[in-house]
Amino acid sequence: MRKIAAALLLVLAGCSSSGLSVADVWGRPSPSVAANAAFYLTIESHSDTADQLVSADSSACGTTELHEMYDAGDGVMGMRPVQEIDIPAKGSVTLAPGGLHVMCIGRLADFAPGDRVPLTLEFRNAGTIEVDVTIREN
Amino acid sequence: MVRCEDTHLLLHRMKRVLIIAGSILALLVVVIVGLRMFRPYGFAGTVIQSPEPSYDFTLESASGPVSLSDFRGKVVVLYFGYTFCPDVCPTTMTDLAKAMRLLGTKANDVQVIMVSVDPERDTPGSMEAYVHAFDPAFIGLAGTPEQIAATAAKYGVFYSKQPGSDATGYLIAHTATVMVIDGEGRLKLLEDFGTSPQDISADLAHVIS
Repeated sequence: MRKIAAALLLVLAGCSSSGLSVADVWGRPSPSVAANAAFYLTIESHSDTADQLVSADSSACGTTELHEMYDAGDGVMGMRPVQEIDIPAKGSVTLAPGGLHVMCIGRLADFAPGDRVPLTLEFRNAGTIEVDVTIREN
Repeated sequence: MVRCEDTHLLLHRMKRVLIIAGSILALLVVVIVGLRMFRPYGFAGTVIQSPEPSYDFTLESASGPVSLSDFRGKVVVLYFGYTFCPDVCPTTMTDLAKAMRLLGTKANDVQVIMVSVDPERDTPGSMEAYVHAFDPAFIGLAGTPEQIAATAAKYGVFYSKQPGSDATGYLIAHTATVMVIDGEGRLKLLEDFGTSPQDISADLAHVIS
């Protein structure tokens, strides 16, 4: 019984047996005219070895890339693709506005509040983890 | 042996000390409360004391040309961004929409304007559709590369094309600061990226009044 409860909790928390858990996956409602969107999430490591998020894919996007914002000084913000996102052993990384995000390029559907968008995350060691992006304002 | 007179004297002195201490404490409370009441409002944004009105741009909206001077008497919230931007621009527009909701009826005294720094990809129509997704009262403006360059330069706004991937095409690094212009058209405040809607709303309320 306990095992079933624990397993259920793992499923509910978006946890995989890979030693990584992914939580709070969200994106903003997108103006239909906006070509692109961003997805945000938190990855937590329960493993003794570091891992890397190497790519992401969603059927709702033409192309999906990993991007980061950077502060170019004097209030200037820029954005650039990143090859991978490191998840330290027993540590966590949060993709959040103004920092790292999964960029949905060439959005193929409207994102309205309450929608759920499928997203596949590919990790170097842990393999793939499937999550749903909840569309909400914040 | 303590005499009765001594005890009386001691009590009398203690009373005086207590009265003086009490008076000082009461005075301190009055001064502190008074200072707090009359302390000027501290803006979350950076205050700019512009003696002159800001550059009176004229750019294109979906329903015709729009100039800054069209909004004299209103506070203008000016932001430079682009519709291709997936992170900083939607974050800022979401926060501005929230700040306007927090202002309640005072929001009628504020006009939010977003100017595109991507003249090659944005049009007056796409800018309108973009800003209306956040708040139907927002105005989106586009212009020729020359018009945008002239306007951005006058407001100290930097923007520059950066290489992206095959999928994104070029990206644009740009000043992410929100500018607040008072009812006489003078630049009054700069709000950094990430300023909370609560702080922006409180700042706007003070610029209105």
